[in-house]
Amino acid sequence: MTLTNFRYGDVIHRCFRCGYCKFPINWMDVNNCPAYARFRMETYSCGGRLWLTRAWLEGEIEWSDHLADILYSCTACKNCEVKCPLSFNIDILNMMIAAKSEMVERGEIPSAAKEFLENIQRQGNPYGTSREKRDEWMEGTGIEAYQGQEYLYYVGCVGSYDTRGQETARLLGKVLQKAGVSFGVLGNDENCDGNEVRNLGEETLFEMLAEDNVAQFQGLGVQKIVTLSPHSYNAMKNDYPGFNGVFDVLHYTQLLQELIRNGGLDVSGGYNAKVTYHDPCFLGRWNEEYDAPRAILRAIPGVQFVEMARNRNGALCCGGGGGNFYLDLLGGSEDSPARRRVREACETGANVLAVACPNCLTMLEDAVKAEGLENKLTVRDISEIVGEACVIK
Amino acid sequence: MDIIACIKRVPDTSEADVVKIDPSQKDIEKDRLAFKINDWDEYVLEAAVQLKEKLGGTLTAVTIGPKEWDEVLRRALAMGADSAIRIDQDVSADDPHIVAIILDKVIRRLPYDLVLFGAQSEDFGSGHLGAMVAEILGIPHATLVINLEAEEKKIHVQRELEAGTLQSYTIDLPALLTIHTGINQPRYISMGGIRRAMQKELQVMSLSDLGLSLDALTPMVKLEEMRLPPKGKEAELITGAPEETAGQLAKILKDAGIF
Amino acid sequence: MSSILVVAEHRNQTLADVSYQVLSKGRQLADQAQMELLAAVAGVDIDAYAKELTRWADRVIIVNNDQLEEPLAEPYQKLIAHLIREIRPGIVLMGHSSFAMDLVPSLSVELGIPLVTDCVDIFWQNGDILVTRSIYNGKANASYSFAQSETILITGRVGEFPVEEGQRQGWIEEIEFAFEEECDYKKFEGYLEVEAAGVDITQAEVLVSVGRGIKEKKNLEIVEELARVLGGVVSCSRPVVDYGWLPSERQVGLSGKTVQPKLYLGLGISGAFQHVVGMKGARMTVAINKDAKAPIFSVANYGIVDDVLKVVPALVNKISELKGRTE
Ligand SMILES: Cc1cc2nc3c(=O)[nH]c(=O)nc-3n(C[C@H](O)[C@H](O)[C@H](O)COP(=O)(O)OP(=O)(O)OC[C@H]3O[C@@H](n4cnc5c(N)ncnc54)[C@H](O)[C@@H]3O)c2cc1C
Ligand code: SF4
Ligand code: SF4
Repeated sequence: MTLTNFRYGDVIHRCFRCGYCKFPINWMDVNNCPAYARFRMETYSCGGRLWLTRAWLEGEIEWSDHLADILYSCTACKNCEVKCPLSFNIDILNMMIAAKSEMVERGEIPSAAKEFLENIQRQGNPYGTSREKRDEWMEGTGIEAYQGQEYLYYVGCVGSYDTRGQETARLLGKVLQKAGVSFGVLGNDENCDGNEVRNLGEETLFEMLAEDNVAQFQGLGVQKIVTLSPHSYNAMKNDYPGFNGVFDVLHYTQLLQELIRNGGLDVSGGYNAKVTYHDPCFLGRWNEEYDAPRAILRAIPGVQFVEMARNRNGALCCGGGGGNFYLDLLGGSEDSPARRRVREACETGANVLAVACPNCLTMLEDAVKAEGLENKLTVRDISEIVGEACVIK
Repeated sequence: MDIIACIKRVPDTSEADVVKIDPSQKDIEKDRLAFKINDWDEYVLEAAVQLKEKLGGTLTAVTIGPKEWDEVLRRALAMGADSAIRIDQDVSADDPHIVAIILDKVIRRLPYDLVLFGAQSEDFGSGHLGAMVAEILGIPHATLVINLEAEEKKIHVQRELEAGTLQSYTIDLPALLTIHTGINQPRYISMGGIRRAMQKELQVMSLSDLGLSLDALTPMVKLEEMRLPPKGKEAELITGAPEETAGQLAKILKDAGIF
Repeated sequence: MSSILVVAEHRNQTLADVSYQVLSKGRQLADQAQMELLAAVAGVDIDAYAKELTRWADRVIIVNNDQLEEPLAEPYQKLIAHLIREIRPGIVLMGHSSFAMDLVPSLSVELGIPLVTDCVDIFWQNGDILVTRSIYNGKANASYSFAQSETILITGRVGEFPVEEGQRQGWIEEIEFAFEEECDYKKFEGYLEVEAAGVDITQAEVLVSVGRGIKEKKNLEIVEELARVLGGVVSCSRPVVDYGWLPSERQVGLSGKTVQPKLYLGLGISGAFQHVVGMKGARMTVAINKDAKAPIFSVANYGIVDDVLKVVPALVNKISELKGRTE
């Protein structure tokens, strides 16, 4: 069956396969599309996907498991959008998502994507862990339930369930407590933010999650939100307004930067390390916040900050976006983006790789192990570095 | 080919520690659990839809349960079922004999060549409802079907036996099959599909509509008590030299009936 | 109640293990209530089976008929219905095999008698028989009683009832049984052996799961040995697949399989979230890891902090010893 209902049918042919979409900021290499970097085949670059999608649209090829894997290996990192020289670049990522949507409607998606979405339908998180366990991360922290405090601290699925993510969720909570920020959390009533659901092409499920979350936040009188994950930040800041949910949304690095600047958070405890920083796509390219995390790191005494060769809007994605921290279509190889990225971090001579996203944290930490770099490089979330600098145990 | 698919809804008990026994000791605590379509029934629906796509005809999905069970019928409708029937009665903990009698009455009213059941359910897992219904209907059956090919008047099936052996049959239609996981790859049902299926009709019937009454249906088997299986919950560290720890562990495993 | 009838099952010239298991249970129940234990076996050339069965049964009924040579539901349903009508046993017991699953539900409907399948325990209570089933994938147990009925039908779970040596010397009785008509609507076409290569770790009751802590591919040998004595299968964490030590279908976890075995034995696995998410449904978890702080210990019921390469060989020996004693 060919692709129908495709809303970009009149522009998709404009891609002329120049291949710029897989470059970083300069022409230093061709591996900045994480999926292309992993497979080294044009089909796995943005341009390749667009040509395949067009061929599917025009009946030259049929749907296949392989086609689905190729589309779902896109991590929605937005590198292509930033690099494509043509004006239609604002839609190229949406074209790939639209092709996934068509697969979703037909039910023909990779089995891991099916599990991911069904788990969210059922338990409100991709892991299928019970909703009743969503608040286990906060045990013993004394963090309060949200009831009209200044900020809603939205933790997200990785921070709530992944054991490594939970550590950062707790530390950020403690940092906010230490800075005297008035905040509360939703605990077991928190639901998936939907950011990855949208990137996987499940539009209606995304709408339902967004509508429910907006209604819940408004019902509780929420005005300001601070998120642990850039993924939540992105959905709430950019998509929720389309569902009448206009909130003042901050990523935690933005709030911490402000707190450090105005003296609300004392980081004089310092952090002695040579640190490099990995830009998460949903904070960087998606929301152009490159400075807040760097400003925090520079403000901490003892931190010797170095940049990786690819940084800011030229950063290589960790390979975890588009649900791939679960689907894992890019794993299992030396060329996996996370493994390339930790090697790049090592080349700077840094001994700490700082991240600002729980997805990046799990992806890159796993890659450090796979590369056997445990003795050279440690992956730390900025919340943890700040936690140490303000002497939280 | 006209197909009837009998499906059910079950609690999601995939995590070991979410199952707790209700004070009545006749049920588990369900109010905090999430629910889903029975695993085997997903394969039933996929098999049914594939047959319908290939051979035409109608597909009717049937379930017996309270209002919330509409959810599994909506999935069936979203997948391509033409109609759906829910018998409004909670029989989830009853003797399957009773459930079989009710289903027989529903199925008889409908046109069918093939009736499909899941090979078992995730909750009670008795695995005998389908074959019971076949016997009441007076049609041939095969359980644990892992391969299925249909012709106009007959079907070729393979049943999954122990240790990697399959058993092949050719069966005249009408017939009843219970479908095993792995027979196909169930497709994803999108939320959009489920929303659109809200527009399709879903028929609700009571036992009396079927000419039955619960009092007249006497169970032959009675649930006496539910308990959690005995187990050491807390992590216990076994210490000592390898010989000793291995010896203790071997004994623990033996006492737990592992070997 | 008069007697207990065990229907034995055979294929490929061997009596099914589960038939011995339910026979042992049947013997015990019969002794406790002072009932007669009958066994039935049918097919061709079945004298050797019959002789074997006399070690447990007081009386063994044999039916020589070539239509009963293969374990097929339809002919056997006719035979067993006939036997029940003739003998009127209080309990009919079979193993919960794929054969029984195809057969007993229809039989119970045909005769209008109660049925409980896949029981993990069968016992007397105040003169009545009660059974226990394992429900919700082993996460709860339920006991059942039966309504008044001349005969009740029970199947017992494979591997649940230990085989006890038969001490009897029962006698053999041959019964004539002929089919009135051939079954023409359901035709048996034969068997197909599928490749045993593809191990399905999701179906295994016991998983011996290895992680990077086993260090080298050659150490898999001793682990395979442990799996063998435990009657289980070897599964693994992702690095073991990445290194090519085991195929990807053995991987447990987020991007591998979700498993719910009776026993999950984790060897040299740290217990990363992505791994644990795939095995948190296990009913019993045991971890062996040399790092006392490994997160796997927080999901384990039992743990040993030590070198797997030292503990595993010792464990193989101890288990073999314990097994040797009972067999
Ligand atoms: C997207 C994604 C998906 C993933 N999916 C999966 C998945 O499906 N399944 C999965 O397993 N992982 C998955 N992972 C990887 C996961 O994060 C872990 O890296 C992995 O599970 C670790 O495997 P391990 O426990 O074998 O190795 P390690 O974490 O390295 O642990 C080895 C353990 O062995 C112990 N050890 C070492 N030597 C000995 C010895 N001689 N005796 C006893 N103990 C010893 C060590 O103390 C250590 O605890 C995924 C990761 C990502 C990012
Ligand atoms: S969004 Fe990222 S992964 Fe997807 S095609 Fe563009 S560059 Fe590649
Ligand atoms: S998507 Fe843009 S950058 Fe990529 S090949 Fe097509 S035209 Fe070139």
